[in-house]
Amino acid sequence: MRATYRVLAYLLALEVVVQAAAIAWAVFGLSTWIENGGVLDKAQMESDGTAFDGVLGFAVHGLNGQMIVPVIGLLLFVVSFFARFPGAVAWAGAAFAAVIVQVALGIFAHSVPSLGILHGVVALVLLVVALVAARKSSGAPSAMDDEPATGAHAAKV
Amino acid sequence: MLETDEARPEGGPPLAPPPAPVRRSRRRTLVAVLAALAVLAPIVWSWAASLPSGTWSVTDMGYPDDGGGPPLMPDHGMAGMAGTGRPVDTLRLPDGPADVDVTLVARAQTVRLAGGRTVTGYTLNGTTPGPEIRAVQGQTVRVRLVNADVPRGVTLHWHGLDVPNGDDGVAGVTQDAVLPGGQFVYRFRADQAGSFWYHSHQVADDQVRGGLFGSFVVVPRGTSAVPSASDVSALVHLYDGRRTVAGVDGDLAVPAAPGSVVRVRVTNTDTGPMRAWSASPYRVLAVDGTDVRGPTPVTGAATQVTAGGRADLEVTAPARVELGGVAVVVGNPRPGAAPTPPAPPPTPVVDLLHYGTPTPLTPVTVGFDPTVPTRVFDYAIGRRPGFVDGVPGLYWTINGHLYPDVPMFMVREGDVVRMRISNTSGEVHPMHLHGHHAVVLARDGVPATGSPWWIDSLDVPDGATYDVAFVADNPGLWMDHCHNLAHPKQGLVAHLMYEGVTTPYRAGADTPNDPE
Repeated sequence: MRATYRVLAYLLALEVVVQAAAIAWAVFGLSTWIENGGVLDKAQMESDGTAFDGVLGFAVHGLNGQMIVPVIGLLLFVVSFFARFPGAVAWAGAAFAAVIVQVALGIFAHSVPSLGILHGVVALVLLVVALVAARKSSGAPSAMDDEPATGAHAAKV
Repeated sequence: MLETDEARPEGGPPLAPPPAPVRRSRRRTLVAVLAALAVLAPIVWSWAASLPSGTWSVTDMGYPDDGGGPPLMPDHGMAGMAGTGRPVDTLRLPDGPADVDVTLVARAQTVRLAGGRTVTGYTLNGTTPGPEIRAVQGQTVRVRLVNADVPRGVTLHWHGLDVPNGDDGVAGVTQDAVLPGGQFVYRFRADQAGSFWYHSHQVADDQVRGGLFGSFVVVPRGTSAVPSASDVSALVHLYDGRRTVAGVDGDLAVPAAPGSVVRVRVTNTDTGPMRAWSASPYRVLAVDGTDVRGPTPVTGAATQVTAGGRADLEVTAPARVELGGVAVVVGNPRPGAAPTPPAPPPTPVVDLLHYGTPTPLTPVTVGFDPTVPTRVFDYAIGRRPGFVDGVPGLYWTINGHLYPDVPMFMVREGDVVRMRISNTSGEVHPMHLHGHHAVVLARDGVPATGSPWWIDSLDVPDGATYDVAFVADNPGLWMDHCHNLAHPKQGLVAHLMYEGVTTPYRAGADTPNDPE
């Protein structure tokens, strides 16, 4: 379970990188498309046909952020219950909480654009938390995996 | 882990309690399993609860909402209980002659747009948009829809025309989709003068995007329905992401002598709002097929046309009506002169809440008294994660409920209905009520002060609240949905149901019908 935990935590960190890369690609693609005469309004945004180099970035960011990242966060949280090392649940819980906040910010920033600033900040928070969780799980094997290292039952059974 | 612990040979006598570490380990595993269940069980339960049934009737959808008026129950039209209600297909005109008789043949095909590009989609009589239908107010229109080869079937919905319910053209609600080789005959009287359009309401998102629609113009009594250069239909549509007007891949040139006055019927056939504007002064003659009282000249402001909505703009030649990427070019300054360049979009938008002659909304001006409603409904649009048809996603909610657990707005013929449409979902929604026109009373609590603003398609931006009112004067089962045609699939669809009306039609995966 620790190995699964570690893989999921690194995957979550990787997803933050993918999200940042995708949205940057999309924004540059969009501005280039507009420079070349593309006209963007709501009707255009909602049409499936808008095509420019980078438009895929928006789709990746939206789908990944709303579906895949939350699923990874949820799985990490569930796996943390079974991964017995100190801080497993706490770090996975923090990562999952950051994912929820991040998705919520992604949604509400469409109403209050300045929330987008926090969306960018929380992305980095999530990246750090996911990396810490991964590192914690890959540290020296803790006695917690079997038994607590102290107390009456410290002896290996 | 647990099993190896239990298998320990040195665990003492067989019946003795296991030593503390084993108990602790077991307890920890149990806690972990319980915690995992606590997290996952609600998710699995809500997923399982959202799985669709293969066939459903709209009359069973959601929960009845009688809007605080006399209680009404939906008529589920149970099998073997015939005669309990009026089926929608009896809500039609009696047979008789028609003044306007049209046959439209639907095909799935690749077609070349005027101006060059080739697109793959759908045609009516070989073209997209389909032929324009023009009638004089009061005339009876008969349209025979034939499906040549559109695999999933087609229907035609008369957007903005308050036709009898049996002719509303919604697959699975008012008719079965017309499958390849089949046909359906629509008949209705064109009582409203104005700009309308027709489009398929079977797999509507795909078919409307693909071009299965056309213009429908009703001219006032005593005038001629013959097309003229001073009356231009400007159906705006994105084919493969590029904007076109009236099927022209580029600007639409309208010949007009300098000084002549031209009506441009801007119709948004896409799924999001668009704007129309002009560097020259223009007037907004009509909105959603209803004339504006005392339209004043507009300069330096754009007119927003929501998805499915129409705005009739009057310009004096020479002028350009900009539509964002394409334009209607009315006349030319001088023969042979270089064409006028596009005008940039102005930031201000015509506020229809205050546009036109100030008119109090009374029985004299709007035909009913909106201050004494029989029923008051809420249509609050929100958004939350969940499952619809077993698919996880971030879905629209209506009054806090996820599809299909949405309100069924119950009315009785003659009711005065008020509806408060609010949006906190983060995105704009073009809300479209079938079969009725509603008058806007207020936006964000600010009362309407201009000409009565009648709508069938209302742009409801995020954070906005609209109060509208209408008379329930057209019995049937009517969709009340978002005209961003991807959104009904994501749950943004409810219905207005008249007491005692039922439907024999069903939708769902086991039927050919899929209205969205």
